Amino acid sequence: MAAVHGDAHGHDDHHPSGIMRWVTTTNHKDIGTMYLWFSFTMFLIGGFLAMGIRAELYQPGIQILQPELFNQFTTLHGLIMVFGAIMPAFVGFANWQVPLMIGAPDMAFARMNNWSFWLLPVAGTLLVSSFFVPGGAAAGGWTFYPPLSTQGGLGVDLMIFAVHILGASSIMGSINIITTILNMRAPGMTLMKMPMFVWTWLITAYLLVLVMPVLAGVVTMLLTDRHFGTSFFNAAGGGDPVMFQHIFWFFGHPEVYIMILPAFGIVSEIIPTFARKPLFGYSSMVYATASIAILSCVVWAHHMFTAGMPTVGQLFFMYATMLIAVPTGVKVFNWTATMWRGSMTFETPMLFAIGFIFLFVIGGFSGVICAIVPIDIQVQDTYYVIAHFHYVLVSGALFSLFAGVYYWLPKWTGNMYNETLGKWHFWLSMFFFNLTFFVQHFLGLAGMPRRIPDYNLQFADFNMVSSIGAFGFGLTQLLFLYIVISCIRSGEKSPEKPWDGATTLEWTHLPCPAPYHSFEKPPIVK
Amino acid sequence: MNKITEKQSGARIWQIAKAVMFAFMGVRKKSDLEHDAATLTPAQVIIGGIVGAIIFVLSIMLVVRLVVS
Repeated sequence: MAAVHGDAHGHDDHHPSGIMRWVTTTNHKDIGTMYLWFSFTMFLIGGFLAMGIRAELYQPGIQILQPELFNQFTTLHGLIMVFGAIMPAFVGFANWQVPLMIGAPDMAFARMNNWSFWLLPVAGTLLVSSFFVPGGAAAGGWTFYPPLSTQGGLGVDLMIFAVHILGASSIMGSINIITTILNMRAPGMTLMKMPMFVWTWLITAYLLVLVMPVLAGVVTMLLTDRHFGTSFFNAAGGGDPVMFQHIFWFFGHPEVYIMILPAFGIVSEIIPTFARKPLFGYSSMVYATASIAILSCVVWAHHMFTAGMPTVGQLFFMYATMLIAVPTGVKVFNWTATMWRGSMTFETPMLFAIGFIFLFVIGGFSGVICAIVPIDIQVQDTYYVIAHFHYVLVSGALFSLFAGVYYWLPKWTGNMYNETLGKWHFWLSMFFFNLTFFVQHFLGLAGMPRRIPDYNLQFADFNMVSSIGAFGFGLTQLLFLYIVISCIRSGEKSPEKPWDGATTLEWTHLPCPAPYHSFEKPPIVK
Repeated sequence: MNKITEKQSGARIWQIAKAVMFAFMGVRKKSDLEHDAATLTPAQVIIGGIVGAIIFVLSIMLVVRLVVS
């Protein structure tokens, strides 16, 4: 270890400059930055597709997108947002923050870290370029169920290849995070002294290692069904298309928690800082995170209640799904208890964290509603489900990412963001998000199916409202881009410790901005 | 000698079971947690967690059987 520290000296002077700095870098901060910019780029592309979807749905009838292209838009919107935007963004946060928060000099496998990142633009390019191949992009939905996905064109093959690459990147990233956390913590930092963000990422990384190979397996089976004469999912050849759904969702449900557990971690850092109180029930939070991870592996078939399942199966998955709400409820209780009688201030990170709790609870409750079989059979594949998971993934995962960016921007850049504009970003996001998605509950309950470019006249008003909200939400995110760029280029110099309630190592032991090589000598944690 | 060891291992298993049960609920008293952290190893807790998950699944299946019978 001493040798490693010794070697690190002087690297500031010798790392390549220009583009090669970014291509060859093994520095966790550089790689974290690249992850974050990549995910934001994909967020804009996925957002562009969402704008296309909402523009088409602004009025009944076919105006802008033909049905085939509309299906491609919905499919790629989901794939890009899940695999290209949300997941890499959290890995970016892990790259930046895990070493800083545990007092490590870098990630454990620095070169593999570089490789994990540089696989992503390849996969992203494959996904985006699939629009331009004969037959267009995959159009069977982000869940790529057969037979649509076995019958699709070249775009499906590009998607399968992209998912393979993204999976490999995620597995390598996870191994790196697990190894870093378990082996490189500062002396004195026992597991139960780790910041919650680090805990949530440790558990998320194990989940990723568990389920990503399942996804790789199922897309490989799809590939061999398409090109090598197998019939895993083809009933005519003795296979079973429902088996695809079981395997996919055995990956897919833990994937939901992969996207939300790090969000819990970020919020669990921000709430205590701005309430100026330690996190209420730290150990409960760790326990709840672990139990959510375990339970997430036994609830997958609640996505398939209408696919054909014995009553016994429906009841099992209904009960198990409802029980997973218990540890999630414990977390919400703990965040609320942390704020209780705290000396709270409402800077932008805190606003987004509170917005997260408020809206995530709505998404969580609509999830419990969907878990009830008789209700789910009614709302399956309607806009109610769309509303539910956007409350979890946009006002859940995405809001926590915004909160995290505002919280750590001073540490990353050495500059403060514009607080007034940050608050505008929050309130506009809050308003337009609810305008977009709250009305979709009504559309779903009224029976509007998802993944359709046209609809009956009775759905017209709420769709128009939803589309106006979506355009507003999309434009608001350009304000976020402006805030971040102006912070980096011309932001006011940040004080050494801009958040007086922050207690984690990156705030107590490092200046703003964090130096290129930090913790060459590990701090002692008492 | 053997009797004492059996007693101790029984108490240890009960302690692991309690830690896992509280984990599934998501709450734990701080003093109990500190006691767990001092006496239990991560391997014991992980194995306990997997066994707990199996018992959890089996007990839901039992409830389902009772409901549909």
